Amino acid sequence: MRAGPRVAAAVLRKDLQLDLRSKDRVGHMAVFAALIVVVLSIALPSGHPAARAWIPPLIWVVFLLTSLLGLGRSFQAESEGGAVTTLVQAPCDRGWVFLGKAGANGLALLGVELWTAVLCAVLLDVRWGVALPEVLGVGLLGAIGLAAVGTLLSAMATSARFREFLLPVLLFPLVLPVLILGSRMTAEALAGAEIPGAWWGWLGLYDWVFLLIAYFVFDYVLED
Amino acid sequence: MEERVIRWARPLGVLAALGLVVWLGMVIFVAPMERVQGVIQKILYVHVPCVLPAYLGFILAAIGGLGFLRTRGEQWDRLALSGAEVGMVFCTLILLTGPIWAKPAWGHWWVWDLRLTSTLVLWFIYVAYLFLRSFVIGSDTARTFASVYGIAGTAAIPFVYFAVDLARGSTLHPSNPAREGLPASMATTWIVGTGAFLLVFLYLVVRRLEVARLEAQALEAGAREFSA
Repeated sequence: MRAGPRVAAAVLRKDLQLDLRSKDRVGHMAVFAALIVVVLSIALPSGHPAARAWIPPLIWVVFLLTSLLGLGRSFQAESEGGAVTTLVQAPCDRGWVFLGKAGANGLALLGVELWTAVLCAVLLDVRWGVALPEVLGVGLLGAIGLAAVGTLLSAMATSARFREFLLPVLLFPLVLPVLILGSRMTAEALAGAEIPGAWWGWLGLYDWVFLLIAYFVFDYVLED
Repeated sequence: MEERVIRWARPLGVLAALGLVVWLGMVIFVAPMERVQGVIQKILYVHVPCVLPAYLGFILAAIGGLGFLRTRGEQWDRLALSGAEVGMVFCTLILLTGPIWAKPAWGHWWVWDLRLTSTLVLWFIYVAYLFLRSFVIGSDTARTFASVYGIAGTAAIPFVYFAVDLARGSTLHPSNPAREGLPASMATTWIVGTGAFLLVFLYLVVRRLEVARLEAQALEAGAREFSA
């Protein structure tokens, strides 16, 4: 295997092992997501038909808020352990380091999505069965987009003052398209309607554009 | 190159001032009083011409960012900063003048219309860009990160526009005021206003470039004095 993919796979494996062993990041995200879904379940008027229309966007807001917890800590281990230099010295284009990091974040976000979906099915009576392949596809594309933008911004916010404030300020305006498209597509899928091809195209294009941008500029971000 | 651009500040300032005088004269004396809305409609002669400079500011931030990442030349970063700061001023003007007109015209200060919402998101991207510059420790790092965010922010604009269109549907804004049966004097006033505001934008960008350059020179002189 060439050096680049090997480095990406090593970074991905390392981050996943860290998540599985310490369980800090994943555990905190799971508890946080559960808390918000419970709060929503209590706050939303029960049995009101209009409340059901609010569920898909609220699910995506839960997902976005929860992802902040995980993305914010994406580079914490390297930063605290002084291991950023090791990442910088990787014997390949640093874009591969980004792909490894974004891959680990994407998998963590997918895990959060599945967990949120289960919580919503149990507590809010959301019936995913009607459109499981579509919902999985939307979730996957949404997680890729969030992971791409979030990993890049997290690398920049790690070394900043007020980073807990800075990351959402940087992230939310840029991932607004994922939030809107994701919630609209989820709503269509849950209603049993066909999702327009253009919506898939825009979400896929968003992922592709931001993966490419992040891949090419990560070199500069990591260097500084 | 930067020095040559800065030399244009004074002529640009004179042209911008002349442009503003002509535009103001047209707003007061040439553009007719709208029959239904009355004098409040005149605020649109400020609102509409701000749009192009606001978007141009963002484009400059991205161009400056790309230039800085490629060459590491500080003049590119100064261009990006100047574009973003002046663009932010025009973007804020759009968001302030819009509601002042909308309240009497539409009955609401704010409606979640496609263009309003997209402009608000654009404003937040500008805010994030300026926050990033001020919160990141180390001036070289701040320049690099701001360049990256400027590029990513510009790339996000078409997606934001599509997504808001999807969420909010139709817009209350006219697609092209010049084609919708408006009197020629109104359309001409808008065109003159856009030209004048573009000159003001260019003047402010050049002046901001000059200030940024002087700041860099003062820092350099201070560092030399300290090491001596």
